[in-house]
Amino acid sequence: MPPEEKTPSQESKPPRGRALRPAVLSALGSAAALTLTACAALPGGSGGPPQDNTPDEVSTDISGVSATLTLAYTDDPPSSELVEGFTDQYPDVSVELRQTPFTDYVKTITLSMSSDDAPDIAQYNPGAMRSLVPGGHILNLDPYAEAYGWEESFPSAALEPLQSDEEASEFATGSLYAAPGALSVLGVFYNTELLEEVGVEEPPATLDDFEDALARADEAGVAPLSVGGLEVGGFQIWNALLNSLGDHTEYKDWVYGAAGSSIETDAAAEATDTFSRWVDEGYVTEGANATSDDDARAEFVAGDSLFLVTGNWAAFELEAEMGDDAGFMLMPGRTADQAPVASGASVAYAVSSSTEHPDAAAAFLDWLSSAEAARIQLDTGFMPVDTQVPAEGRGLLDEVNAGFAEVADNDGIVPFPDYATPGMIDQLTPGVQGLISGSSTPEEFLASLQAEWEGHHG
Amino acid sequence: MGEGAPARPLHPPAPAPRPGRGGGRPRRTGRAGGRGRPRLKGWLYLLPALAVYGGFAIYPALSTLYFSFLDWDGVQLPAWAGLENYTRVVSDPLLAGAIGNGLVLIVFFSLLPIAVGLLMTGLLTGRPRRGMTFYRTVFFLPQVLPLVAVGTTWRWLYSGDGAVNEFLGAVGLGGLTRTWLGDYDFALVALGLIGTWCMSGLCMVLFMSGAQKIDPALHEAAALDGAGRLRRFLSVTLPGLRREISIAGVITTIAALASFDLVFVTTNGGPAGQTNVPALLVYRLAFNEGDIGAASALAVVLTLLVIALVSLIRLLAREK
Repeated sequence: MPPEEKTPSQESKPPRGRALRPAVLSALGSAAALTLTACAALPGGSGGPPQDNTPDEVSTDISGVSATLTLAYTDDPPSSELVEGFTDQYPDVSVELRQTPFTDYVKTITLSMSSDDAPDIAQYNPGAMRSLVPGGHILNLDPYAEAYGWEESFPSAALEPLQSDEEASEFATGSLYAAPGALSVLGVFYNTELLEEVGVEEPPATLDDFEDALARADEAGVAPLSVGGLEVGGFQIWNALLNSLGDHTEYKDWVYGAAGSSIETDAAAEATDTFSRWVDEGYVTEGANATSDDDARAEFVAGDSLFLVTGNWAAFELEAEMGDDAGFMLMPGRTADQAPVASGASVAYAVSSSTEHPDAAAAFLDWLSSAEAARIQLDTGFMPVDTQVPAEGRGLLDEVNAGFAEVADNDGIVPFPDYATPGMIDQLTPGVQGLISGSSTPEEFLASLQAEWEGHHG
Repeated sequence: MGEGAPARPLHPPAPAPRPGRGGGRPRRTGRAGGRGRPRLKGWLYLLPALAVYGGFAIYPALSTLYFSFLDWDGVQLPAWAGLENYTRVVSDPLLAGAIGNGLVLIVFFSLLPIAVGLLMTGLLTGRPRRGMTFYRTVFFLPQVLPLVAVGTTWRWLYSGDGAVNEFLGAVGLGGLTRTWLGDYDFALVALGLIGTWCMSGLCMVLFMSGAQKIDPALHEAAALDGAGRLRRFLSVTLPGLRREISIAGVITTIAALASFDLVFVTTNGGPAGQTNVPALLVYRLAFNEGDIGAASALAVVLTLLVIALVSLIRLLAREK
């Protein structure tokens, strides 16, 4: 899924019709209504000393265990399909599903996982975990990882973002708190017909070729890129460029919050300059700032643009709408043989430390790396945890999967940049909008990201 | 309204359950006023409204005030932060910009709609004509639509090949076309004009109903004295609408400063923070960053600002 994708919600309607009161009362009333909006969703204070969250005894054998688990989640697919696959194989375990829309998921899950009646399993969300892990509400999965050998069965790049220290401030270190159930990857979709039309024979293999294709499209009067700059689409291009141009250990350290990391690197400056150049050349227009991700996708589907930088989550729709006219590749690197690096995320699941059936819950997590699960993950439009699943002649979806396998086999999956701090997305989107409108320089953009990072990790 | 006076002490200072315009309620309590037991009984009648108001307005407001002094993520044990959240909020340049934008929006959400509303009232009242209800309904329609739908529609209207640009092209102003909401300099204005569109109908309906209550004899007398339509509007209608104008000012000013949904679906504060408004930052602090303390502090600051401005409007519009 795209990082932190949001949908509109209705909040803070002005309190109409209260105004017939005397001055102060009406003011007070509206003020109260305002503040009511601000705290309507606040938890009532479920604080307490951290709970013990490490299981004492673990077992990988759940034969004869009959249990009913509850699973709280937001992403569907793949959640309900995966659960169905699991319970088909383990009929003694039944799973009760509780779905919450994404807009409400973070606050709902923070509340329910810290309550006395916590669900046994919950879809992982970094924002929520920043509170839940330090509170001891999430089961430390290290004993299970060892017992099952998860280091082997899950791609390590997919486990890293799910590992954190006890404060949940630095990632890819400390203990494991969740297991990935379906993966995603960021890449570039292209319109094969338009590619031919503007005179590009092959999908570009290097970044220079890519830029050349942008120029040709621009000359031919075809929009080179569809950019959803209003939401995440803008910074995902920057993100893809950074993946291609930068040192990915440096970048990962920064996203995971390793002490002393910085985004003000030469590589990041080059990626940002490249993006700004595309703006100057007119490949990315100011209109992008008012284009939502859906609008950008619709524009690409309509055949109005050559490239769309987004993730596998769009593949289903593009395949259905465009068929063979859409192709997928990773953002090319400096050279054609450069080891591919791409941002990705996972739909992952964490276990409550107050569950009565930790073994059954862990068995579910383990099952996610199985070949049966991989089939479901692919069928639901995700990238499989087990990358060895063969292609099946499904056009675009296979292309996306091939691209992903290439990255995964190279250990080249890196997290999305908005994972770095809870407020990073609110720097990334406006920051890239600043680049697009020419109101801020690449240096200012990177400095604003670093300032947000220092504010959280420093 | 003189009968209402003895009832005064019955109303607690803050949570008075809508004193209302008419004299109905005060009269009834007035009859019971002055003696001990009926007074207590009076409170009993107030209780349901009081409980609802207290539980859903006063208590959350006070909680917000309390949260604003905490360092709290909503889950773990909160720590006392004193005024730290306030110093953070006040020293943040983002906030100053957002409040500035909110004040600019008052022009579009409040001043312009009142002007448009008055104009429409001047044109539509005076002599009754067919289809008045139709006009009123059409102009009021934006008020009925959910702001999220309004925002989404306007995003399309304002887009590169949207209706606004097509219109400009058609009338020979093709040079002006742009993606309005994505334009660094024009986004706030474009957003504000959506607010004007939404609020004008409300103002108009308020003013029309106010104008209908003005004694027709005044108009007739003015007409007999030789006053033209404009004169009558300025000397009869406008003074008669003082109350309504002040109410419209209050409602629309609050809508401007507290605007959230419209901004959230159209620009989400963009491009590059050009349309940030305080409520949007409250939302981000609370739900993206999990910083309940700072979000509450900002909400309190916003509330104080709203109270100050609204009180000012009421003061200015007070009848002598």
